[in-house]
Amino acid sequence: MAKVLVADDSGTMRKIIIRSLNAVGVQDITEAADGQQGFDRFQGDEFDLVLTDWNMPNKSGLDLVKDIRSIGSKVPVVMITTEGEKSRVVEAIQAGVSDYLLKPFTADSLREKLDKFSID
Amino acid sequence: MKAEYINPFVTSTVNVFSTMLDCALERDPLCTKASFAPLHEVSGIIGLSGKAAGTVVLSLCREVALQATAALLLGERPTEIDADVIDAVGELANMIAGNAKIHLEELSMSVSLPSVICGKNHSLTFPSQATPIIIPFRSPWGPLSIEVGLVEVLESCSG
Repeated sequence: MAKVLVADDSGTMRKIIIRSLNAVGVQDITEAADGQQGFDRFQGDEFDLVLTDWNMPNKSGLDLVKDIRSIGSKVPVVMITTEGEKSRVVEAIQAGVSDYLLKPFTADSLREKLDKFSID
Repeated sequence: MKAEYINPFVTSTVNVFSTMLDCALERDPLCTKASFAPLHEVSGIIGLSGKAAGTVVLSLCREVALQATAALLLGERPTEIDADVIDAVGELANMIAGNAKIHLEELSMSVSLPSVICGKNHSLTFPSQATPIIIPFRSPWGPLSIEVGLVEVLESCSG
């Protein structure tokens, strides 16, 4: 069964994302409320997918991705964010983001991302 | 404030309410903001900085805040303004401001983390040079508005 890390400072957004994960059968989910907590939890376990916000306190989602790549991990990371300008998307891809989902999003669009990485 | 800065906030508000809450909004005429008091009881506030700087406020009447939280979480309507409502309003404000700034890319703006203030007698401040614009909407749950005050930032000369 897939194990997924969800990092977002909004508890509401984490609930929405977790609901979509549960709908495709993912139950093994670890939550983080900022990028630093996300990296701490990432290092303490093995994950099949990371879903992260960009703008978070303490450590941004962008820095979380950089940290994950800096330790050699190739885990798929999907950035779920309002940062949709072309320059931001390029910055995220250069940092090692695997895919991108803009907020606001539909449950179907999130499910498509999960399908892409065969998460179930 | 330039008129072309307004439309992205209108479009993003309608888009966020439709996509995340399945809630259709109807827009009322724009007006300028004459006082520090918000139109409604719950304010989700986002700061913007870059080549333009200012504040965006999602102002919701209490019932809209409660119903929007229930719609976002697919849960029951909260009976009071609790932590879930505050977090939901902050996230809605974040999505509205973030979605709008995509269409204002030439201003290279960054958004702050959201803050939320509740209560009938709170005040909001905008940059002193800005003339904040109020964009009122009607929803099936009651009224809401977006208040936007932005000023272009002059680039400093060096050397």
